[in-house]
Amino acid sequence: MLDKILVADDGSAGARRAVEMAADLAARYQAQLHSVTVEEELPRYAATMDEVDAVQEQKARFFERVTAEAQQIAARYGVEIECHVISGHEVEAIIRFCTEGGFDLLVLGFMGHSRIFERVWGSTSQTLTRLAPCSVLVAK
Amino acid sequence: MNQWLVAAVWVALALAAGLISVRTAISVSLLELVLGVIGGNFLHLQTTDWTSFLAGFGAILLTFMAGAEIDPDSLRKHLRPSLAIGFVSFLLPFLGAMAFARHVAGWDAHSSQIAGIALSTTSVAVVYAVLVETGLNRTDLGKLILAACFITDLGTVLALGILFANYDLWLLAFVLVTAGVLAILPRAGKWFFARYAGRVSELETKFLFLLLFALGGMAVKANSEAVLPAYLLGLAMAGLFLQHREMVRRLRTTVFALLTPFYFIKAGLLVSLPAVITGAALIGLLLGVKLVTKAVGVYPLAGAFRLPRREGIYTTLLMSTGLTFGTISALFGYQRGFISQSQYTILVTVVIGSAVIPTMVAQAFFRPAPAALTSVPENVPHLAEVQEHA
Repeated sequence: MLDKILVADDGSAGARRAVEMAADLAARYQAQLHSVTVEEELPRYAATMDEVDAVQEQKARFFERVTAEAQQIAARYGVEIECHVISGHEVEAIIRFCTEGGFDLLVLGFMGHSRIFERVWGSTSQTLTRLAPCSVLVAK
Repeated sequence: MNQWLVAAVWVALALAAGLISVRTAISVSLLELVLGVIGGNFLHLQTTDWTSFLAGFGAILLTFMAGAEIDPDSLRKHLRPSLAIGFVSFLLPFLGAMAFARHVAGWDAHSSQIAGIALSTTSVAVVYAVLVETGLNRTDLGKLILAACFITDLGTVLALGILFANYDLWLLAFVLVTAGVLAILPRAGKWFFARYAGRVSELETKFLFLLLFALGGMAVKANSEAVLPAYLLGLAMAGLFLQHREMVRRLRTTVFALLTPFYFIKAGLLVSLPAVITGAALIGLLLGVKLVTKAVGVYPLAGAFRLPRREGIYTTLLMSTGLTFGTISALFGYQRGFISQSQYTILVTVVIGSAVIPTMVAQAFFRPAPAALTSVPENVPHLAEVQEHA
């Protein structure tokens, strides 16, 4: 039933719970497990290329940490995880990746926002749930 | 006033800009500029000799780093098309803005020239960030666009260095010494770095500062501008810097922590908000002139290089951005007395507008199709095709 599972991982505590849950499901269903982390925009209106490079280096260190954590969690459940870092707006990029990869399940961490924030903007998890081409599991 | 308290206020503004930058992903330099405007207009912050020195040194190092950021192999590889696009991207806005300032706004000859130079620039950093985001920086097309931006900047720096210079013996000496240094620097620098780099006393940084100060000093003697040799030195040392990334990181720490905040805050605090209001129409018109002249120069070339319409407009808008060199040119004009504070304000406001508005329009309406955001588009022309069209 579940052959390919994708977990969206932004390095937050909620995302770590999502990776745990996705790894658990992947072990139970013997499914392929992938994680996706979205690299958001570089500094806008930068004054030097070096400023852009410095942010990129900082991001690379962040992605290394996020990937290492996801691999440790997956290893605890005895499954392998393939980690991907992609660019763009997080909702657009995840939906595209999920669609193109033919995933059966998208696992997300829940990120709590204030009521005002959610009323005005909607939450990322809500938008992803609405737009995803497959079933979605939100880990809380 | 107590100089430590003055320093505390400047650094507080720089720190605030950094914190806002982390939250908003807006460049720290632009925020320093904006906080400088607030500091100058509401906190009545003023420049002192030592803040001006640090700001000037910041401008020199910013320019040096801008030159050193080029990939020499890429420039060599795309020399013809990048020269064509970069030169047109400099020349049309330069002539257009200069003519508009002279004949429509009624500015005198020197202030019109400063307007032309300040509005001819392209922000390499803004273009670079977008190319990295879209993955185009790894393609021939992306490298060509970047190389073209460097040529545009070179045009700006040369114009700034040459137009106002005194044609005397000092200029001759400056040209000869600079040419000599540039000729031997790649080898001499390589030898010096190989022998002395990585020591705790930072000998390679001192070597670099010595060259920047000495050539900058000679340029000023010839009534030229210290950023001219800085950019040329950067270009000459670009290859060496590719091999010494650790030194670049250490230099970046010095530049961003201590020097560029003073430069951008100073550039901002000389902006007069009342002059922004009274000059609003001229600001809008000059911004329009910059965007139109860039479009006239760059868009047809983008089409010639077989970029689809959307990507062509996107590239044109990105090449219409400006920030660092625009403010450096305006500040040069103000400090040399070629433009008044009102004219400085108008030019810097146009420069800030040209950093923000084209980028916003490009990102909102002409962002390439999603597929291009994570991978190299299939329709990116090969180098041979690009050169064929140049």
